[in-house]
Amino acid sequence: MTNPIYAADSIDVRLGGRPILRAAYVDAVPGTVTALVGRVGAGKSTLFSVLVGRRRPDGGVVRWKEERWHRARLWRLARCGVCFAPDRPWLAPRLTGADHLRMIDPGNGWLSLAEELGITDWLETRVGALSGGELRLTEVAVALARRPGAIVLDEPFRGLAPLYRDRVGRALRAAAARGVAVLYADHDARLVQETADRLFSIEQGMTRPVSDFRDRPLHEWYHGWPQ
Amino acid sequence: MIPYHRWLTSRLFRSYLAVFPFIWMLGKAANAFTAAQAGLPPFGFHVLTEAVVCVLELVVLATYLRRDNQDILLANLGLSLPAALAPLATLHFVLSGVGALLV
Repeated sequence: MTNPIYAADSIDVRLGGRPILRAAYVDAVPGTVTALVGRVGAGKSTLFSVLVGRRRPDGGVVRWKEERWHRARLWRLARCGVCFAPDRPWLAPRLTGADHLRMIDPGNGWLSLAEELGITDWLETRVGALSGGELRLTEVAVALARRPGAIVLDEPFRGLAPLYRDRVGRALRAAAARGVAVLYADHDARLVQETADRLFSIEQGMTRPVSDFRDRPLHEWYHGWPQ
Repeated sequence: MIPYHRWLTSRLFRSYLAVFPFIWMLGKAANAFTAAQAGLPPFGFHVLTEAVVCVLELVVLATYLRRDNQDILLANLGLSLPAALAPLATLHFVLSGVGALLV
């Protein structure tokens, strides 16, 4: 396995004097899917917001290859090759999926990606009129159309019907197979076991890598995070 | 980052161009009202005042875009909000200049 291309290292975040993240660490490795799991309120979204430059940490750095930032900015990271898909809609609702994709690649080089993701049926529909699953797949397509080196997704499966969960999961696996460093946060044990190659867990603002998560029975996940 | 000329010709930027004149009209109405209160020509063209109103209009548009998380979309394209919206300042000055000439 190659080295991490992108990482948030020793991240401290305090809110009102209360520690939210304590020396938290997460990274993404090219060609693999890395998951960050934790209970609601454990600090997953806060750690991701620091990683993609949406929040200034009280301590720690964000690393992209050889570069280090105390306060990254998403637009700067995007120029380096990072793409971020938050846990809420982020495409322009009055535009179609095709409008977004043409903005990135006017040469229609994204058509094969759209076919692979199975989104061609609704590409000319306004984004605001799409169902949750259609929208999420379109967001993944827009994120991947820029051919990012790393893609960060906050709860990409949340609220999706099983059919769309599987398709989003397959899309993430396919992106990793093309060499993209995929990193996502979620708390669906089954999907994490099926989708992820690497796992970090976060609890009370502290992270740790989990090595044998594929072999553990699912019920352990619901009664306590892996030790 | 997407090339800047592609940004300026994108449907997304054109959608901002379509919305901005309405924000400009609000800004112009507020500007005209305060000018009239101060006994000045309501549709006069003063560069500093126009610059302040322009910034306020762009802040209004940026707030509207943030509400829809379009700042994240722009950032994913490699564009900061100021870089993405800066061309609209030209539109503000053109509209205000034409307005001052006509009224």
